[in-house]
Amino acid sequence: DLLQWPQISKCRSPEMETFSCFWTAGNFYNLTVPTMLQLLYKKSNEEDWKECPDYITSGQNSCYFNASYTSVWTPYCVQLASKNEVYDKKCFSVDEIVLPDPPVHLNWTLLNTSQTGIHGDIQVRWDPPPTADVRKGWITLEYELQYKEVNETKWKELKPRLSTMVPLYSLKTARDYEIRIRSRQRTSEKFGEFSEILYVSFSQIGIGCDHCTEEVEFPWFLVVVFGVCGLAVTVISIMLSKQPRLKMLIFPPVPVPKIKGIDPDLLKKGKLDEVNSILACHDNYKTQLYIDDLWVEFIELDIEDPDEKNRASDTDRLLSEDHLKSHSSLGAKDDDSGRASCCEPDIPETDFSASDTCDATSDSDQFKKAAEKEDDLLCLDGQDNDESLPSLANTNLQRQHRSTQSENSHLWAPFGDSVESPRPSVHTQISNQNSLASTDFYAQVSDITPAGRVVLSPGQKSKLGRAQREGCTEQNFTMDNTYFCEADVKKCIAVTSHEENEPRVQEQGYNEDGYFTTESLTTTVANLGASTAAPPSSEMPVADYTSIHIVQSPQGLVLNATALPVPDKEFNVSCGYVSTDQLNKIMP
Amino acid sequence: MSTRGASLKGLLLAALLVSHMLLTKEGVTSMPICPNGSVNCQLSLEELFDRAVKLSHYIHYLSSEMFNEFDERYAQGRGFIAKAVNSCHTASLTTPEDKEQAQQIHHEDLLNLILGVLRSWNDPLIHLASEVQRIKEAPETILWKAVEIEEQNKRLLEGMEKIVGRVHSGEVENEIYTPWDGLPSLQLADEDSRLFAFYNLLHCLRRDSHKIDNYLKVLKCRLIHDNNC
Repeated sequence: DLLQWPQISKCRSPEMETFSCFWTAGNFYNLTVPTMLQLLYKKSNEEDWKECPDYITSGQNSCYFNASYTSVWTPYCVQLASKNEVYDKKCFSVDEIVLPDPPVHLNWTLLNTSQTGIHGDIQVRWDPPPTADVRKGWITLEYELQYKEVNETKWKELKPRLSTMVPLYSLKTARDYEIRIRSRQRTSEKFGEFSEILYVSFSQIGIGCDHCTEEVEFPWFLVVVFGVCGLAVTVISIMLSKQPRLKMLIFPPVPVPKIKGIDPDLLKKGKLDEVNSILACHDNYKTQLYIDDLWVEFIELDIEDPDEKNRASDTDRLLSEDHLKSHSSLGAKDDDSGRASCCEPDIPETDFSASDTCDATSDSDQFKKAAEKEDDLLCLDGQDNDESLPSLANTNLQRQHRSTQSENSHLWAPFGDSVESPRPSVHTQISNQNSLASTDFYAQVSDITPAGRVVLSPGQKSKLGRAQREGCTEQNFTMDNTYFCEADVKKCIAVTSHEENEPRVQEQGYNEDGYFTTESLTTTVANLGASTAAPPSSEMPVADYTSIHIVQSPQGLVLNATALPVPDKEFNVSCGYVSTDQLNKIMP
Repeated sequence: MSTRGASLKGLLLAALLVSHMLLTKEGVTSMPICPNGSVNCQLSLEELFDRAVKLSHYIHYLSSEMFNEFDERYAQGRGFIAKAVNSCHTASLTTPEDKEQAQQIHHEDLLNLILGVLRSWNDPLIHLASEVQRIKEAPETILWKAVEIEEQNKRLLEGMEKIVGRVHSGEVENEIYTPWDGLPSLQLADEDSRLFAFYNLLHCLRRDSHKIDNYLKVLKCRLIHDNNC
């Protein structure tokens, strides 16, 4: 057991007129010789400690100070001591230790009952503690009432109030209640003891509701069930209703993903490669490009699977003089098409593999498909080339219009300046090409009319009549490499002198983002020139492209059919890009 | 045009309200001074006492709270309580210390004593409001309460002088007043000593405000309700 010293437990004044101090003796007595404990006190303005005047009135281990010993606002100190030792000491003033007695004479009266008789209101009254002199205003008391049902454990509290009566509303008449009250001095925090418990029983005064034992609580369960059912019925009726406006209002349609310029059907049905190419082109797509539906249509046609009917119609449209609408903008536009945007114009791509650019991809795919379908793409067959020509035309057009104006002017201007074109040769080509327009896999643009129409020349075949259909035996072209060496192409051309060697050109062109390499240009020019100037020998490469005579921005390009000298062998060294300096050397 | 009409009506209403406010010179007050609007209106003594009791109760509540907050914040662990057997500067005023003495003293004397205590606290409260701001990291509540107590004390003083003017029959006696010389202790350099000075001052304030509150209630019950509150 721990040794517990004697301690002053508390000092209390019930009415601010007297006060008492209480202490505990501890187990000190048991262990040592019992000695008398004393309580000594001292007022602040005194020197000597005095002994407690009354040890009895307040009970055992207490000291009672009556009114004559009590000065309210005077500081006191008390100490618990024996003869030799001081065990505890406390200092206070009486106004700080006020704890009133409990109220007395609690009673209640019925105010009224509800119509059903289930609930009732009562008024509770009490008297202040008799010791507190409230009437003279010496002490002001506050009361707190607590009540609960008899079989409950937790008391409900009301706010402290000054008055000695309080109404309690809405008590259940079927139940019994307990009430208790305590008081405190108004400016203090601590409450005194609780009063005796007051029992409230309605049955005693004869208004107990015997048949109201069941509590009528709010039917939450029913409310929830009916609410859910009603909501479900409403939702279903709206969904099934035939009024679209109402449906739209309640259930607005979820917007489907839509990218401008892409046909949703293509996304559903198109092949993965095509879709990839389209989406790749849309990484930084420019919305203004797709405002014009024609461009969309144009691009779609290009990507779709080879469809003879579509292509034929498209090519016819392109070549026909009567169809103004679709060609005016096609011919006129110099700015980038959607295709071009994914091929950065300034990137000095030396790697001409097919996968780098979308155009390369699609073109190579196109090319591959076409190649798969036919034996010799290069050696175009008249019947089988319907589908190839539109694509050729399209890609040609694409390329021409893909590059920016600056590039055009930059690239084409030297040509235009330095080359004079004999126009009539072009027109002869034009006249001949209609019949065979659909025969080539690629067609070059021989002219763009001021009206904006593109005039295609399908190559030497048209000029010279139908050439022998000889396959290019040397199909040594690496299909994956879309850039063809001129030498290789020349071989093929030589073999089939009237064949087209467009693929080379195509691949060359788009790698440089839309502008034709000078090499290809020279080659084509040379080819063309050779073809126009003289009956083509088998050795002469066919001119598939003409140089641009004038760039009539933005309305079109006028192509030359100039006969350029066959490029020297120095150009054959590399399949690469010929610089303009080199080009100028060979230009007349 | 309907909006124009509405705005005109609004303007008219606003003008009426403003003019009414200016004419009646009423702000937001809970207790109208002269409800009947008579020229020489005077508050009844009951009214004056009611207001005085309200004010004194409020002042005691504020000072009690302020002391508790200060005790919690600064006094714990410093052993101030042991030294709290102090004497306040108003101890020299002989005020009734128990109910009997309060019953026996004449109401005019008691009123004068109340006035004296209030006057004696005027000066310390002003300095308390200003010096408590220099306490390191003083909570906002303590600062606010100090200012509020000082203000309310002034109002109570005015009210008490009015009451004394009504109740007093004879000439004005000597003014009861105790000077306060505790300002240097509030400005001590040593933080512990300074905080102890504050502690004592707040303790005395709580006690004296309780005294004033009690005296006023006693007087009110005696004079107004005839000892039957």
